[in-house]
Amino acid sequence: MSAVPTSLSGVVSAVPERIWLALLVLLFGLVAAYVVGVINRRLLTRAGVPDVIEGTAFERTAREFDTSTVRILASLSSYFIVAVAVIAAMTVAEVNYLEQFWAGVAAFLPRVFIAVVVLIVGVVIGDKAELLVAERLRGIKLPELGVLPPIVKYSIVYVAALVALGQVGVQTLALVVLLAAYAFAVVLFAALGLKDLIASAAAGVFLLLRQPYGIGDEVKVAGERGIVQEVDLFVTHIEAGGEDHVIPNHSVFRDGIVLIRD
Amino acid sequence: MASLTDHLSDLVSDADAVLLFSPTSSFFDRFEGDDTDVVVIAPDNDVDAEVFVELPLPFDNVKDRIRFGIEGAMDADLVSAGDEVVCVASVFDGGPDSVIRVTVDETVHTGIYGLFVDSRAEPSVIRDVFEVAIELGQKGQKGKPVGALFVVGDAGKVMNKSRPLSYNPFEKSHVHVGDPIVNVMLKEFSRLDGAFVVSDSGKIVSAYRYLEPGAEGVDIPKGLGARHMAGGAITRDTNATAIVLSESDGLVRAFKAGELVLEIDPEEY
Repeated sequence: MSAVPTSLSGVVSAVPERIWLALLVLLFGLVAAYVVGVINRRLLTRAGVPDVIEGTAFERTAREFDTSTVRILASLSSYFIVAVAVIAAMTVAEVNYLEQFWAGVAAFLPRVFIAVVVLIVGVVIGDKAELLVAERLRGIKLPELGVLPPIVKYSIVYVAALVALGQVGVQTLALVVLLAAYAFAVVLFAALGLKDLIASAAAGVFLLLRQPYGIGDEVKVAGERGIVQEVDLFVTHIEAGGEDHVIPNHSVFRDGIVLIRD
Repeated sequence: MASLTDHLSDLVSDADAVLLFSPTSSFFDRFEGDDTDVVVIAPDNDVDAEVFVELPLPFDNVKDRIRFGIEGAMDADLVSAGDEVVCVASVFDGGPDSVIRVTVDETVHTGIYGLFVDSRAEPSVIRDVFEVAIELGQKGQKGKPVGALFVVGDAGKVMNKSRPLSYNPFEKSHVHVGDPIVNVMLKEFSRLDGAFVVSDSGKIVSAYRYLEPGAEGVDIPKGLGARHMAGGAITRDTNATAIVLSESDGLVRAFKAGELVLEIDPEEY
């Protein structure tokens, strides 16, 4: 009768304690991975992520493979914890061979994880930004504006890819220089193009706050004399004898205002 | 089911024109090559239709939407009195779900389309002021019937043809009609004497204005008082639209170019 327990305890004692510890660590890792995966999924869902990224290209592709972005992100965190647990278990079990290799992998793993997450988030945000810009421009039916949404998308994806590559230690200096040149060009053109608009808005804020002239006043502004019909952030409407002059606020400010009292 | 189909074909037979309200492009394409005249009525011409009537406001009430659309089509000489038109519209959210047959007659032509589309002020501003006036007409000021006079659009000229009765409570403020809080403010200020002046973009320029237009030759229906006379006369002198709530009979009337163009009962709205 005592043969079975003896053999069982023999097996138990034959396996070194370290292995049991390692298995325990592995088991704990698996449970933790599952729990973290579920919690992540719920958190992302609760935060309204699925609604926000609805309709983006990445989400649609994920749907085709019968999964979703939230699920991918959640399982990614699970896999990461499993991998860490496996390495921890191996260390505890003192599996000696290839120790150098595993040490390298253990140090590298978090970076890869972050890189993948950054890439996914970048692609999803890029898709979403493309959708938003396209929706905004739908009212203006100008075919030339069709290039704008993809530019926005790829700019965001480019930055995300750059961060991801930097995480895994790839030399990105040339790409950073490219990004800097691109950003500089965007800022330069925006500054050139929006110069008058920004100046008008700044002057418009002053005009609206201080109201040196109001609707109904007769004024002479930028060479046009008439009755003020409307003042908004960017322009002032002045009507004179059936002609409605729309004068940008920055020229109102630059040339000064003549209030006509009679 | 045969009787239902018969009824539907009776409904659409011999129609002079088909009015499509905000159709999707695939739905619109199905009407291509059809013999009857197709008129698209929508806020924007998304389907690139040849015959298009702009709907400046997305009317929730289908009756208003159809009436407005027919009136716009009449103004553009697309349909005329006596025509039988079939309207395809969406009552509930989603695709076209109803077919309505209407006989066009002159009573449909109330002038409301011209009031919205040809006014100097933006259509949404006119609608917002209308809504305030109608709400005031329904509820009054603290239960008592109240009158009000709103002059919308061409505010610069209106200000020069009027004078303040007291300090302007909207001085140096930047409030626009349509804002729920502002609508409450307007209702509170309606106990003040004088007119409200609203600009083209909906900014409330002034309250407490005494309008002094030249009133010669202004012909408004007999029985209306000084408020209506002032409202009618100011629209003849300027390009403004006057929206007047009568204190005595509680009707909301709109004046343009010195003439009464619209009369609605707030209780029926």
